[in-house]
Amino acid sequence: MRLVAENLSRSFGRRAFGPVSFRVEAGRVLGVAGENGSGKTTLLKTLAGLIRPSGGNIKIFFEGEEASEGCEPRDSMSRIGWCAPDLSLYGELTAEENLVFFERVRGLVSHPDRARARLEGVGLPPESHSKKPLSSLSTGQRQRVKLAFATLHEPDLLFLDEPGANLDEAGRSIVQKVVAEQRLRGITVIASNDPRDLALADERVTLS
Amino acid sequence: MSAPRPAAGILPAAIAVFRRELLAEWRTRVAVNSLFLFAFAVLVLVAYAVGPTRLSPEDRPTVNAVLLWIVLFFSAMTGLSRTFVHEEDAGTAAALRLSAPPSGVLLGKLLANVALLGAVTVFIVPLFVVLMGFEIRDPPLFVLLLLLGTFGLASASTFTAALVSKASAKGALFAVLSIPLLLPPLIAAVSGTQVAAREADFAAGLDFVRVLVAYDGAVTTAAFLLFDAVWRE
Repeated sequence: MRLVAENLSRSFGRRAFGPVSFRVEAGRVLGVAGENGSGKTTLLKTLAGLIRPSGGNIKIFFEGEEASEGCEPRDSMSRIGWCAPDLSLYGELTAEENLVFFERVRGLVSHPDRARARLEGVGLPPESHSKKPLSSLSTGQRQRVKLAFATLHEPDLLFLDEPGANLDEAGRSIVQKVVAEQRLRGITVIASNDPRDLALADERVTLS
Repeated sequence: MSAPRPAAGILPAAIAVFRRELLAEWRTRVAVNSLFLFAFAVLVLVAYAVGPTRLSPEDRPTVNAVLLWIVLFFSAMTGLSRTFVHEEDAGTAAALRLSAPPSGVLLGKLLANVALLGAVTVFIVPLFVVLMGFEIRDPPLFVLLLLLGTFGLASASTFTAALVSKASAKGALFAVLSIPLLLPPLIAAVSGTQVAAREADFAAGLDFVRVLVAYDGAVTTAAFLLFDAVWRE
């Protein structure tokens, strides 16, 4: 499996990022560095198919399809996981209800035990996710729920934008665990300014 | 590496979205409160200002039909745009875009809006009939017009809400786009309701039923054809 970006760029009137080219193989972690406003978040949204690029292209070659022309992110959304500061889940639902809902809309067989296990995997005890609405959890706890959401469907490509934001040391070790698990499954791209997040990457692209 | 997965089905996704919309509405009651309170307030004002005794018998079918659909139309305008606008405002739209097939999202939200407007209709129409002394001579035609008209209002409002959800002036744009889109079914529904109030002749109102069926079919089909581009761009 491979993720290839060629001369990728995005503009909103003025240039947001790029052109940038890179190639990431399965099991590898790409770090995206750059100052505030350099377009890291926009690049990740473009890679995840949430924004169309203004120039260049992105191709994903899944396992067994390396000889094909590759897929665009928009055609592969069911295989993409995304976690970002501007991602929100439903505040009026509990964390567990959120995960069960996203299992259902993804066409996965929903199972409360799986959602619970996933939440416990990101360090959330049952009392924090089974009764309280998500909006009543702390920012750090909500970040953990977002990590559980991003990996719920065991994606081939995982995009993490500032994954360590608002997390304590225990939370940061959960990010390391998530990235280690993703190495066995596919590709990870991490955008961050934090050296601790970028230290998880094997290679790095710096946006200017 | 995981094996290729089939795309999520439209129906399971639609059912999940529908259930989530109702559960969220049950817990927050934002749309329910605005829809029901608006509809009830307008109904009480209309009943107080116009009432059954201030209308001549020959004017009653026309005036009552118009007033009833005005209440339902503005209720739809008040509460139904929230379904998509709230997703964008709360930042949950991206998670839904990544997770659910677009048609499943539209179908789930359409069903939720139909349920919501249907509940308002069930609440308001009996009150309106009693308070305004609105005599219906052809109840089956009246009920059919209510079903088709309510579905048309919900369908057009849901799609328009999706169109405006990313705009900056959502409220103004929703009204500007909705009013011309909703006028044809409103005219057919009002005209058909007058017929149902004047005479017990189902065939006399059939043309209006046909207009509503055609409108509902066309708007709903167009919504499903265009929604993918609207939702993802």
